[in-house]
Amino acid sequence: MAFDDPDTLEGRERRALETLVTRLADDQFVLAERYTEWQVRAPTLESDLALANNAQDELGHARLWYDVLEDIGLDEQDLVYERDPDDFRHSTLVERPFEEGDWADVVLRSYFYDAAEAVRLAALEDSAHPKIADRVGKIRSEEEYHLEHAQNWLERLADGESEGGDEDGHERLQNALDRLFPHALTLFEPVDPEREADIVELGLRDATLEELGEEWLSIVLPYLESLGLVVPVDIDEDDPEFTVTDDLLPDERGRDGTHTDAWYDLYDEFTHTYRELERSEPTKLMDTPQ
Amino acid sequence: MSANTSSDRDATPCAYTDYREGAAAEDLPATGEDATGLEADIWDALYGIEDPEMPISIVDLGLIYGVYLEDDTVTVDMTLTYSGCPARDMLTEEVKAEVAAVDGVDDTDLRLVWSPEWTVEMVTERGEQALQEFGLSV
Repeated sequence: MAFDDPDTLEGRERRALETLVTRLADDQFVLAERYTEWQVRAPTLESDLALANNAQDELGHARLWYDVLEDIGLDEQDLVYERDPDDFRHSTLVERPFEEGDWADVVLRSYFYDAAEAVRLAALEDSAHPKIADRVGKIRSEEEYHLEHAQNWLERLADGESEGGDEDGHERLQNALDRLFPHALTLFEPVDPEREADIVELGLRDATLEELGEEWLSIVLPYLESLGLVVPVDIDEDDPEFTVTDDLLPDERGRDGTHTDAWYDLYDEFTHTYRELERSEPTKLMDTPQ
Repeated sequence: MSANTSSDRDATPCAYTDYREGAAAEDLPATGEDATGLEADIWDALYGIEDPEMPISIVDLGLIYGVYLEDDTVTVDMTLTYSGCPARDMLTEEVKAEVAAVDGVDDTDLRLVWSPEWTVEMVTERGEQALQEFGLSV
C-alpha cells in the first residue's frame, strides 16, 4: 500500500495527503490559539481549567497531524511559524475573534467544531494511511469530552430563558449562532475540488465533504432547535435535504486561502515572540556540548 | 479513561494482527518479562525511566508497546497518556538516550504509536502499587 511508505508517494497521492492533513492540523492549531485567550478570563475557575485543558488537547492533536506531514518533508516549526498566513487552510470558524467576554460564543463555537470533528474523524478510521488510522482513536476519545463539555454549557445557557428573569444566556447564544453559523459551514468547503476527489478515491477518507457536511447538519440542526435556537436556514418540510448554497457562506472561506482580517492579527500575535527573538533556529545553551 | 473494559475482555482474540492495528490489547503493555541478554538490558534501562510527575516507571505505567531488536538496532514502540502531553520531547529523548547507552546497542529508533490508545488499564500490577503508595487510587 502506497501510504505505508511515504517515500514512494507520487505527486497526486502526496498532494491529497497534504491537503487532508494540513486542514486537520491547521483547524486544531488555530482553534487552540483562540481558546487560550480565555485563560484567566473564563466565568469560573472550573470552566477556565476545562477550556485550557481543551486547548492543550487541540495543540496535541495539531501536533499529531503535523507529524504525519513530517514524513513528506514538511516540518512542524516551518508550518506553524514560517508559513505565509495565506497558506493556512483552517476554516474561518476557528479564526474569528470572540465578542468581548462572550462565553456563549466560545461554547457554541466549540459545539460546532467538536460535532464536525466527530463526523470527520469517523470517516478517517479506516484510512489507507496507517499513521492516520493509528491516531484517530486517541483523538476521538479526547474530543468526546470536548463535545460533552460544550453541550453541557449550551444546555445551561439556552435554559436562561425558561427559568425566567435572565434571558441573557439564550439571547447571547442566538447572537453567536447568527454570527458563527456561516463560518461553521466553511468546515466542509473544499481546498481544491480535484484534490478533494483524490482524498476519497485514494482511500484516505471514506466520505466526501458533502456527505460529512450533511451528516453534521443532521446532528446540529435538530439539536440547536431543541434548545429553542433558530438556525438561519429554510428547510422545506417536504424535502428536508438541506444544501449549502453560496449565499449562506461568508466571503472568506479559509479552506481556499481566503481569510478574515482577524486571522492576520492573530497570526501576527502568535508569531510575534518567535520573530522578535529570531527563533529561526532552536536555542542552544552552548555551541558544542562539553 | 475507562474505555476498553468489559466488552473487550469478552471478545475473541484476533488471530491476525498487523502493525497498523498495533499489538493485540491483551498483550499490552509490553513489559519485557521473558527478555534475555541484550534485550533484557534494554528493558532494565527502560524500567529505570520514571514518569516526570509520579514515582512510577514508564514501563509500569504502560507506555511501552514493544521493543524490537534486529542485529544491534533497537526499535521502541511507545505511547503517551494523552496527545497533548507536555513531557513528550523530554520522555522520548530520555528513552532514546537511555536505550542508546546500553552496552551493545548501536542504533535506536523510537516510534510513537497511538493505537490502541493508552488507558489506565495499561498500568501493570506493580505500577498500581506504586501509584497507590503515592496516594493515587487506581
